[in-house]
Amino acid sequence: MAFPYNSFSRTIRSIMSPRNLSQPSSIHLNQPQTPLFLKSPIHQTPLSSLTQFQTWAKTLIQSKGSNFPTIDNGPDTNHLFRELKWFLEDAGFNRDDDEDIVRLRVGLDELYLLWKQRIVERRPFQYVVGCEHWRDLVLSVEEGVLIPRPETEVIVDIVEELIKKEEEEEDENEVMMKEGLWVDLGTGSGALAIAIARALGKGGRVIATDLSPVAASVAGYNVGRYGLQDKIEIRIGSWFKPLEDVKREVVGLVSNPPYIPSDQILGLQAEVGKHEPRLALDGGENGMVDLLHLCEGAASVMKSGGFFAFETNGEMQSKFLLDFTMNKSKGCFRDVKIVSDHSGIQRFVTGFFV
Amino acid sequence: MGVNLVIFIFFYSCERARIHFSCLKMGSFLLRKSCLRSSVLIQNPRTSFLLFSHLPEFHSNLDSTVVARGAYNWFLNVSGFSSKPQVMKTPVGFNIRCFSSQAIMEHKTCDGLTIENIVSYQWPILDESEGDWKSHAAAISQSIQLIKKRLQWKQLVVRLQMLSLELSKPDLWDDPVHAGKISREHGSLMGKMKEVNGFERELLEHIDMLKLAREENDAELESETMKALLSMRRSAKEKELKALLAGEQDSCSCFIEVQGGAGGTESMDWASMIMNMYKMWAQGRGYGVTVVDEVRGEIAGIKRATIKVEGENAFGYAKAEVGVHRLVRISPFDSGKRRHTSFAAVAVTPILSDASSRCQINESDLSIERFRSGGPGGQHANTTDSAVRIVHIPTGLTATCQNQRSQHQNKALAMSVLQSRLDQLEIARQAQINAQHTHSLTEISWGNQIRTYVLHPYRMVKDLRTNYEVPDPNSVLDGDLDGFILSYLSALMDKDEILYEFGFYDRKR
Repeated sequence: MAFPYNSFSRTIRSIMSPRNLSQPSSIHLNQPQTPLFLKSPIHQTPLSSLTQFQTWAKTLIQSKGSNFPTIDNGPDTNHLFRELKWFLEDAGFNRDDDEDIVRLRVGLDELYLLWKQRIVERRPFQYVVGCEHWRDLVLSVEEGVLIPRPETEVIVDIVEELIKKEEEEEDENEVMMKEGLWVDLGTGSGALAIAIARALGKGGRVIATDLSPVAASVAGYNVGRYGLQDKIEIRIGSWFKPLEDVKREVVGLVSNPPYIPSDQILGLQAEVGKHEPRLALDGGENGMVDLLHLCEGAASVMKSGGFFAFETNGEMQSKFLLDFTMNKSKGCFRDVKIVSDHSGIQRFVTGFFV
Repeated sequence: MGVNLVIFIFFYSCERARIHFSCLKMGSFLLRKSCLRSSVLIQNPRTSFLLFSHLPEFHSNLDSTVVARGAYNWFLNVSGFSSKPQVMKTPVGFNIRCFSSQAIMEHKTCDGLTIENIVSYQWPILDESEGDWKSHAAAISQSIQLIKKRLQWKQLVVRLQMLSLELSKPDLWDDPVHAGKISREHGSLMGKMKEVNGFERELLEHIDMLKLAREENDAELESETMKALLSMRRSAKEKELKALLAGEQDSCSCFIEVQGGAGGTESMDWASMIMNMYKMWAQGRGYGVTVVDEVRGEIAGIKRATIKVEGENAFGYAKAEVGVHRLVRISPFDSGKRRHTSFAAVAVTPILSDASSRCQINESDLSIERFRSGGPGGQHANTTDSAVRIVHIPTGLTATCQNQRSQHQNKALAMSVLQSRLDQLEIARQAQINAQHTHSLTEISWGNQIRTYVLHPYRMVKDLRTNYEVPDPNSVLDGDLDGFILSYLSALMDKDEILYEFGFYDRKR
């Protein structure tokens, strides 16, 4: 697939529209990287060298990778072997080929370099291949952008369920959710915004915001790849700041804000702590700073009856937010509940605005 | 329809010309042929002319010759003769109406030869190259009998009559799902029956033709007919095979699961060898292969694995592999170089393509778990492991998938595995209801050994069910399994015990 230049530049233009001017100049510096699997297969490599690489890469996994789980809960060798297989697939190596010459998307040198980064530096696999498979999407990611987590997929399930229920009931609001304005705060790679936009109807729109210009440009690239530039608008800025013009219009608000307590950042798994953007992880003291800000500020942008879903660090934060929304901000929220992720961790808080 | 029209005109003309009774008899012979749709007689203008001119009356009676020529010309025009064989498409209603006559009518040559008595004459079957028509005819007749046996012909006829009856009920379409099922089954059985009937008729007509050609000393026609017989003899073998896969689920794609037995690394290595064998076999047959689930052993091999094999008849063939496979060799993992015996169990489940026959899964009956190494998850963890395990609570069936790159995909694939297992369970239950007895074999028991692979002290692979054996284990482990599969399927069929061998293998006839 070619780089969707036109759609991308269109999205960027929308980012640079006058109302969200926070840091427009830096966008030009952040040309998103093309994921490995979309690069052209222009590097011819003898099959034997590739087999050699494979043997080397496996040895590296076995010699260096076996203690990752014990050091910091990192990947075990089985995962790494599977990543190697995917890495080669993305690089253009197809096992079924009987040819002696293989066409790769990167040179052999870079292949070695990338795999060394993966094992020795513990650069996240998703940064190495430049993409993350998330739900039915393949999203471009790079340093400076949080890699979407599988847990977060559940938010989309919740939203899809909501839209489906609304269609079945056809109450007085009719299809408010399906045709309304949604917001994804701190969109990162654009994962939630894209998945939700695909679940919405013709009239549905999504505004995706992020403070990081790198994230905004990557999200713009992903939006373009899925042809959603007419449905999703990307704005740069902190939380509700870029939403001044849509007050009381938002029917759905989702966010996966940074929620890791600051004092836990140092002990994180190397792939996360050393490589992913702290901006997207560090939730301040108790990890609740941004979540509380979201709960307090949401009322100003939400339409009556609007829906929200936030991802949290787990049971403690979820319970705290439940208590906060039902007691401290009494009267603003209704039907607030905690939803668990697939591992049974109380991960999400969802509810409606009165 | 063109042909019938011509015959009608021929009759009509015959009557007008007051032709001798025997000519009418010939006409009825032709009519019968044409109704039954012969590929040779009707498509070959030379042949039909020969048939017309064969009767002495045609030569003695000028009128009739003219009529015959006229009819012959009509014949050419109306049915649009060309060198290409034509397929006459008939509407379904027509099939239903003429169904009973098709099933009951016994096919005969002009001098009363039938498939049954060809077989009973026990003509010696010489090599194809001998060019002996009796050998060809005997070989083809035997094949036809075998095919009929494999298709369980008598039951098929009864079932077809039942279905036709059902189809003619006026309130049939009140239940469209049921109606769809009935008409699909009817169509599929009808297709099988027509194919066999057509084949049988073709053989008898070729025999007629050959006799005719000899009487007429027409060397060209004789050699043509011999060629046709030879090609029938060859395609009969294929048809025999095809009849092996006539079960309801046989045409489906399937999942193949392999699980290592007790015995640590050696048996895990054996499980991965078996899995590889199936991958190569499936690829060799042109099937699509996807790894659904794979749990690797600590040192080598796999604890268990599931692959999805997609393609026509994948289940039909692979079902022959269900059971325990035994390996005897000097273990490369034993420093003492001792001989080891290991086991691997293989299970095969069909992926039903017909949505209406699939088991309904209730979302609330499912427990969906994600494997993870513990810890707080979410933003704390970066993992490419998005394995999903789904448990169907009422049955306790589970399905796991971890080889896809997103949880979403893993879940979708695990769901399809679960669906397939539930379907299998349901089929087995149905089979149990339909049959009084059943060897319920939905679970592979370790006692159910089907094949032994010996790499040491001698080399051999032997199927314990059929005694089929191969002296070269390498070729088998490289996926050359067809010999085993076909010998087993034929043995199964020909013993006529096929019905409930697998518990789930219900042919509903």
